[in-house]
Amino acid sequence: MPLVASFAHWLEQRDWAMDFAGSAYFYPIVLATHLTCIAIFGGMILITNLRLLGWVLRSQSVSDVVGRLRPWKWGGLVLMVTCGALLAGSEAGKYYGNPYFWTKMTLLSLLIVHSLVFRRSVYGNTAALDRAAIMPGRAKLAAVLSLILWIGVVTAGRMIGYYEGPVPLADSVTAPAP
Amino acid sequence: MFIQANALTQAMIDNDWLFPAAECVHIASFALAIGTIALVDLSLLGVGLQRKAAAEIARSTGLWTLTGLVLIIFTGFLLFASDPDMYLRNSSFRFKITCLVLAIIYNYTIHRKVALSESGSGMGTKLVAGVSLALWISVVFGGLFIAFV
Repeated sequence: MPLVASFAHWLEQRDWAMDFAGSAYFYPIVLATHLTCIAIFGGMILITNLRLLGWVLRSQSVSDVVGRLRPWKWGGLVLMVTCGALLAGSEAGKYYGNPYFWTKMTLLSLLIVHSLVFRRSVYGNTAALDRAAIMPGRAKLAAVLSLILWIGVVTAGRMIGYYEGPVPLADSVTAPAP
Repeated sequence: MFIQANALTQAMIDNDWLFPAAECVHIASFALAIGTIALVDLSLLGVGLQRKAAAEIARSTGLWTLTGLVLIIFTGFLLFASDPDMYLRNSSFRFKITCLVLAIIYNYTIHRKVALSESGSGMGTKLVAGVSLALWISVVFGGLFIAFV
């Protein structure tokens, strides 16, 4: 992916990226906003999925929970992605070589696929789910997959910060006894 | 007690994976706890869910909020044990813990009372929800800034 590598390099050289990476508090503020979004809007995603499984808010219809939270989840997602892009953009070269970053991006791509696959039968079909006597298997499958993928995204996201680059060759070879 | 605390500190230092694992669970569980509390707040504010749903949301997510809080405190204690002196000296940590204690007390007193009363949607109710959101957001910011002060 030489194109992505050169884009990462180009991005890192931008003035705004340099200013951003250089200022002491901007980075943690954006990171904390990113994290707050995870708490509030990630919590909403959690609740939506738990509702599909029938574990919470049973007296509220699926349409109500999914429909009313939808605009908030979209708003939260936009803010979360903006903060994430700022964080990645400020240290694009570092993120490029970080396997957890790519794991996270892969999981996010799978979530896009997930939303396309289940849109017609689950998330865009809540009126039928309200009428169903028992929750259809597809809806429960969608909920479980979404939960697994999102927990994976959070975990991979946190692990980005722990990655310290490939282990240098010298370290992996046992030093000869003196 | 002192020796046990030291053993825990040693365990956190010895196991490379323990700190990151505790931190991932810490983040996932605060998404659960704060997410469910925020849902109650948003319905009190009349945005997203309806005001009349607040009591039911508070009741039916109560156990999930509590589960999240227990996990947060348990994993938080593990993280704290990795380097107690550093945390105690850290001003952001002290700010966070203060906000956390206030937020928990607030959540189970004023906040709960207002959420469970099915009426009232004036400025007072909105203020109660706003204070709740502000306290929890302060906890998240305080927690993150531990690494930056």
